[in-house]
Amino acid sequence: MKLLVIEDEPSLMASITRYFRKEQFLCEEATTFNDALQKIEDFRYDCIILDINLPGGSGLKLLKFLREDKKRDGVIIISARDSLDDKITGLDYGADDYLTKPFHLPELSARVKSLLRRKYNEGGATVDLDGLHIDLTARTVSAEGQPILLSKLEYDLLLFLVTNKNRVVSQQAIAEHLYDGPSDQAPGPEFVYSHIKNLKRKLKEKGAGEIIQTVYKLGYKLVV
Amino acid sequence: MSLSLQQRNTRILLRWLPLVMLAGSVFLYFLMRSHILHMQEQQLHLKQNNIWRAFTTSPGGLPLHIRGEYDIVPGPPASIRTSDRPRDTAIRFPGYASETFNLLTSRLTDKGKSYLVTTYISSTEVTHLIIKIALADALIFLLLLGAIVVVNRNISRRLWAPFYTTMDTIRSYDVRQNETPNLSPDTGVDEFNRLNQTLSSLIDNVYQAYRNQKQFTENAAHELQTPLAIIRSKVELMMEGAALNEDTAHLLGEINDANERLSQMSRNLLLLSRIENRQFPEGETVYLSRLVQKQTAFFGDYFQDEVPKTTTEVEPGIQLLASPALVEILVNNLLRNAYIHNVADGYVRVCLNRTGLLVENSGPAIEGDPARLFDRFKKGREDSRTNGLGLALVHQICQLYQFGIRYSYYSGVHRLTVTFPSGS
Repeated sequence: MKLLVIEDEPSLMASITRYFRKEQFLCEEATTFNDALQKIEDFRYDCIILDINLPGGSGLKLLKFLREDKKRDGVIIISARDSLDDKITGLDYGADDYLTKPFHLPELSARVKSLLRRKYNEGGATVDLDGLHIDLTARTVSAEGQPILLSKLEYDLLLFLVTNKNRVVSQQAIAEHLYDGPSDQAPGPEFVYSHIKNLKRKLKEKGAGEIIQTVYKLGYKLVV
Repeated sequence: MSLSLQQRNTRILLRWLPLVMLAGSVFLYFLMRSHILHMQEQQLHLKQNNIWRAFTTSPGGLPLHIRGEYDIVPGPPASIRTSDRPRDTAIRFPGYASETFNLLTSRLTDKGKSYLVTTYISSTEVTHLIIKIALADALIFLLLLGAIVVVNRNISRRLWAPFYTTMDTIRSYDVRQNETPNLSPDTGVDEFNRLNQTLSSLIDNVYQAYRNQKQFTENAAHELQTPLAIIRSKVELMMEGAALNEDTAHLLGEINDANERLSQMSRNLLLLSRIENRQFPEGETVYLSRLVQKQTAFFGDYFQDEVPKTTTEVEPGIQLLASPALVEILVNNLLRNAYIHNVADGYVRVCLNRTGLLVENSGPAIEGDPARLFDRFKKGREDSRTNGLGLALVHQICQLYQFGIRYSYYSGVHRLTVTFPSGS
């Protein structure tokens, strides 16, 4: 999978690319408007991570240019400007998703993967790992053919962990992911614990094994 | 006691003008009296001269007595003393009412014969005149007093008009509004022009200071976002590291917690200053019933293990005209507050109807003053679950949209009520 990260803050750029390279993504970088424009014109990407405030011009202009050129690259806007207007404008211009800074890397990763799934599998996707079968369309989970009844929150939690499998995901990242609203308004992350506990119990009952590990003080990790 | 300028003006006038006028009246009375007495004296002398001349030029041609006019007494005894000064006397003439006369008696000689000549002038008429003039004077003074007061009030009202305009303008001024008051620099009165200029520059300075401070909060919170985002991403990368042992994981966890708190705090501060600066677009329809249902359902699920009982009584179809983002934050913060500050096996009840939104929850009594509940950084407990800005945000949003907000606590039950203005 080919990813273009357009971000003018080098430190943040380094974090993003490092995170994605670890999952075998092919990452290209652009730090200025012109640089980004060049790359967009010359290549095709599966997904573009786009910052709005760029030296040399607005990321929204890049997006407009891209869509006018009939290019269907997936675009996720990352912006520190979290006013509602920017979000609506961004989505109007044809962005696929919008994430406000500061974001969690697992969240960005989940958004990118969800975008790619929508793009290439047209929603009819299933995920299989370690005896666990997840139907993304029907939003059902089964282990060894046995259905596991999960609440909406537990399902979202499991999917988030699966998307970020073998990576440590912090409580805050989980809480913000579960909350369907402005990410900085997510309720107490320490309450994630009880949902993890319930999820683990349900998985264990159906013999799915101890795939969710608690990483002391840091968060949780789904290991396969 | 403080009075209005006009009342005070009138009061001073009413206190001093009558005194001045009374003194003027007394002075006038004495002045007039002395002039009249002088005039009478002159008249008596003149009359005496005329009578005496007539008497001496035609002896026997004049009677010796005319009542009320004169008396001529020939050969008076030498013992009777006379003076050149007139004197007053009351004389009763038969058939006349008692009258006061002014009389002058002189000893005169004609052809070796001595006479006592007394001439009379009635002083009653003169006394009446003086009384009438004094009355007229009093009446005029009274009218004058009234006129002065009325005219003075009118003049002062007209004179001070620019002052009252300035005062009204300033009273309705609110530094949080983005408009400076319009104080006319040309009122036609030099003093008021100076007052308005001074006030204008004062307000400008205050507004500048306020703006700078607001700007600072906003800029600071905004500029913090990038470094915070970098720290967060680096911490998340480190979490992946295989080199972590229990000790470093612990340290990393604490860095992460602190960073998350900082991050949330700066976002909330940014949000607060944006609300204060009114940077949120208004005029969108918010489907409040749907929003409250959705949020309550989420919170109920999310806190299922901690707060098992959530009840909702939501009247359908309630809408507001506001910023959807802000209303969501309002509802969210009220709910989060209710769930986090709860007790084991507690409950949350949410009621929404046309008049307002009620969030009720079980919970321990808050420490400190309930009136300061909505202050920034006022925390119930020192813990990382709250940053002390949640209810300040609620308060600010309520203020922005003129919602009423009320808190009450009674035996383990907290209630926060938001009331919508009627007609919204």
